[in-house]
Amino acid sequence: MVEQINQMRAEANGKIDACTNLKSLNDIRVEYLGKQGKLTNLLHSMKDINKEDRPKVGQLINLAREEIENKLKNLQIKLNEKVLEEKMSKEKIDITEPSKIIEKGEIHPLHKVFDKLIDACVAMGFTVITGPEVEYDYYNFEALNVPKDHPARDMQDTFFITDNILLRSQTSSVQVRAMQSMKPPFKIVSPGRTYRADSDATHSPVFHQFEGLVVDENVSMIDLKSMLTELLKMLFGENTQIRFRPSYFPFTEPSVEVDATCPSCAGKGCRLCKNTGYMELLGAGMVNPKVLEMSGIDSNKYSGFAFGPGVDRLAMVVNKIPDLRMMFENDIKFLEQMK
Amino acid sequence: MKVTLKWLKDFIDIDLSPEELAEKLTNSGNEVEEIIYQDRYLKNVVVGKILEIEKHPNADKLVVCKVDIGEITQIVTAATNIKVGDKVPVSLPGANLANGIHIEKSKLRGVESIGMFCSIEELGVTDYDGEANGIMILDDDAVVGEPIAKALLMDDVIFDINVTANRPDCMSIIGIAREISALTKKPLKKQDLYYEPCNDDDIANYIDVIVENEELCPRYMACAVKDIKIEKSPKWLRARLVSVGIKPINNIVDITNYVLVEYGQPMHVFDYKYLEGKKIIVRPARNGEHILALNHNEYNLDDSNLCVCDAVKPVVIAGIIGGMNSCVESTTTTTIFESACFDRASIRRTSRKIGVRTDSTARFEKGVDCSLQPLGMERALNLIYQLKAGKIVKGKIDTIKEQPKDKTLTFSLSKIYKLLGIEIPKNDVIDILNNLGIKSSIQNDELTCIVPYFRQDIERYSDIAEEIIRIYGYSVYDKIDAKPLSGTSVTIGKHDKVLYLARSLKKQLCSYGFYECVNFSICSIDDRDKLLINPNDKLYNMIKIANPISEDIGYLRTTMANSMFNTVAYNLSRKNSDFRLFEVGRVYLPNELPLKQLPEEINILSFCSVYKNDDFFVFKGIIENLLRDFDLPYYLEYSTKSYLHSGMSADIIDRRTNTCIGSFGKVHPKVIENFDLAQNTYYGELNLDILTNCPEKKHSIQTISKFPYVDRDLAIVCDESVTISEILQCVKKSCGKFYHSAKVFDIYRGAELNNKKSVAFSIKLESKDKTLTDEEINQIINKILKDLEFKLKAVLR
Repeated sequence: MVEQINQMRAEANGKIDACTNLKSLNDIRVEYLGKQGKLTNLLHSMKDINKEDRPKVGQLINLAREEIENKLKNLQIKLNEKVLEEKMSKEKIDITEPSKIIEKGEIHPLHKVFDKLIDACVAMGFTVITGPEVEYDYYNFEALNVPKDHPARDMQDTFFITDNILLRSQTSSVQVRAMQSMKPPFKIVSPGRTYRADSDATHSPVFHQFEGLVVDENVSMIDLKSMLTELLKMLFGENTQIRFRPSYFPFTEPSVEVDATCPSCAGKGCRLCKNTGYMELLGAGMVNPKVLEMSGIDSNKYSGFAFGPGVDRLAMVVNKIPDLRMMFENDIKFLEQMK
Repeated sequence: MKVTLKWLKDFIDIDLSPEELAEKLTNSGNEVEEIIYQDRYLKNVVVGKILEIEKHPNADKLVVCKVDIGEITQIVTAATNIKVGDKVPVSLPGANLANGIHIEKSKLRGVESIGMFCSIEELGVTDYDGEANGIMILDDDAVVGEPIAKALLMDDVIFDINVTANRPDCMSIIGIAREISALTKKPLKKQDLYYEPCNDDDIANYIDVIVENEELCPRYMACAVKDIKIEKSPKWLRARLVSVGIKPINNIVDITNYVLVEYGQPMHVFDYKYLEGKKIIVRPARNGEHILALNHNEYNLDDSNLCVCDAVKPVVIAGIIGGMNSCVESTTTTTIFESACFDRASIRRTSRKIGVRTDSTARFEKGVDCSLQPLGMERALNLIYQLKAGKIVKGKIDTIKEQPKDKTLTFSLSKIYKLLGIEIPKNDVIDILNNLGIKSSIQNDELTCIVPYFRQDIERYSDIAEEIIRIYGYSVYDKIDAKPLSGTSVTIGKHDKVLYLARSLKKQLCSYGFYECVNFSICSIDDRDKLLINPNDKLYNMIKIANPISEDIGYLRTTMANSMFNTVAYNLSRKNSDFRLFEVGRVYLPNELPLKQLPEEINILSFCSVYKNDDFFVFKGIIENLLRDFDLPYYLEYSTKSYLHSGMSADIIDRRTNTCIGSFGKVHPKVIENFDLAQNTYYGELNLDILTNCPEKKHSIQTISKFPYVDRDLAIVCDESVTISEILQCVKKSCGKFYHSAKVFDIYRGAELNNKKSVAFSIKLESKDKTLTDEEINQIINKILKDLEFKLKAVLR
């Protein structure tokens, strides 16, 4: 009997090891553990065995049964997994097929730069304000120390609507409105659209500026430098350095042109920066005390600085846009490149 | 403005290279835009003397010349204007001429030629005399073998400088020399302006000067020169004028131009015999007067044009251009020299009005100060004396009553340092200012400056601060690294509401596949008709630009639609298809035309699609989603916008104010044709200013029923005229308190329905306190069907 059991065990184990699918697994189960199964039958024939041998044989049969059951269970888990694997492998798709959701559009490169500048300045404590594009001569020129028939008017060709109303040629007009309505200390920036009667490869009659103005006690050129360094680093990278060159604007004194190390060659000199290592990016300066006074701010107590980059140019440098005109033609083939 | 190195050296010793000098000038605010070497095309070109001319053995049109260039050499040429004994420019191997020709030794039809004779064009020399024809024949005093640059006095270096508008005093050789003096810490050379007047005569015998309006002409000086012999100026003087781009005329006119360049004082000179009444009167022109100017144009004058007149007629448009009626000519023997100061604004206005700009206006409109006239006059007379051009009559007329005085200003040095953020050593401050001609001293914190009259731009401490730092050098800031804005008060940053809202809506549109475009806000007036806008429409009144650069962009837009349509059409013409675009921008609505006050500027979001599957309802969905965040009850009405399809577009109306906050829909078929758009062009716009003022939607969350809701689908058939909105409202009402939601999921139109439509919708029913029984549900459904039939004649399909 014992021998018979061991033989059956070995036989069953061999079959289980050889089994590769769920159907034969089931057959094996029925063959040994079913109602008429071989092992079940052995159990039934226990009554023919000596009483004293029964517990030992019984234990042996139960052990054999447990072993076969466990083996079958493990095999079943394995085979189930295999079936699932096969199913999934049949369902495999080509993941390089195109996506089905609407493809996202993009913000125009000009406004990407605007948004960056605005966010950086708000974080530095600036209030964003806007002003009218159709503006009185007074705000665009006179209150900025450029009286009628002043030679500085030649610095920009202005579109006029009437003798007294024009299309603002600079966002500096918002400076005046801010100075007349806000009490120092304040920091403002004003992004917006500006106009000049100028149209060629590097000038657009409609363009964009980002005016900044800080009025406070103790403002110095060092504040101007550190602020602009921070702003340009944000746009062009941590290694950006800036330098001042003297310039003239009627509303600032001293006035400077601000150059930044060329982001393309990091200051080594390349085609984009005409081998100078620097790019001329914006005008800036300390607010002319005359301008403060004209807007009713005590120039003995307060000083200020102002800056005004052309944002179109910044967007071109940041995105390496080869031609200004592309910015306003709005060819989808151009806009899509902002993906 | 052009200055030359040699001319500058008359005033100051310069031992810098031209490049170094240019860099110094640029870094101190006088930007050198270009350095021009006059001899750039003249290298390896020398003076040669033709010794023999013989026929070429193998060519009829060529000749073989023996030429002395210090050694005897041979040139083959086709030139016909040469003869033995002529001195000519000879270009030798290595020369690169102005017309791009590179010279090398060569053989012409078998005969060797060392180089080439040159014409005036080949040398890049301006032909002011208009005599050039063939090979340039040099003056007889040219030295054989000498470089041509030296022989032609073309060995100078020219700097083209961009002088800023605040520095009229730098519009001269002396002005730039003064800057170089400060930059190199070298003093200016003393100028000798000596001349001898003839004492037997007096200016009083010649002329009387009357200035009617001293504000427009603060100073007028006149001198007389007699026994003049009009002739060509000496070579050196002509060369100087040519080097700065001025055409030499004759000795007298050249002297006035020389003074203009050297001192920045525009001069004028009259032929005395044409001045009627022995008078010079500076006065506004009388209406109806006119003058034939030196440029051969006739100008009609009015009382806004200041003129220099004799007793009878205008002889000069003051400071701008002289008249033919009194100009110096070959027969002139006696002249009156004018050195005057005119109001810059008046000159600028007249110059703009008559459209004439001269070297003289370029100075006057920037501001010639009234301390300069004596110096200009002295220099002119000194040149007359040097050139022996005539006899200087004793005495000067000068209308100024009080001599201009330099002003003494005092500043707090610490305030200057505070503005600059750095302290510049006191001795540097003093040196810089003194070398600029501003005599300065420091006592404790007090900086005292005697500002010369020609520095009208210096008034305040910030002006002095700039003078100091621009000469000291801005590079001092290069190494300073400070924490941003550490010197300022703490302020709280704040976004602009409209821009911030626009940014959020823009991002949403991007996620629907729209690309942002940036269009011009100025447009053609033709767009108005293309948009079918009629004269009663508010959008009809476009603001006109008085001085447009082109009619295409001569007006301000009153709607965003034309900008967008033009951009869409441009893209379609470029074979782009299936795209969506949006723009945030302004429209400009005048309250009246012509404009008396500023127009209303409204911020608008516009968007457009030519995507093949987009339609009215896609746009409706976009609008619904864009507006969802606002506490804004609205309804839709068929749009009244002229550029939208009347039956397939909607205006969005604010329920509380009954104002239109936007529109969307299919573009009007005629507009599609007018702009060349695609047939399925859809357009929408939203007023951002109104939306900015809408409060954000507030939410009050309801408890969720513990009992599951019941779904029932129904399909009904009704007339086309019955709207979905009517059906859903009817359903809602029928459901009463058990209503949760109702949604249309299909609308079907087919021939078998006889022009009716089938609408399928699913209803969700719910009770807060129990599970609805089948009986209750059936009751509700029956009521819905009954109500639909009764109210809308809709029947179950």
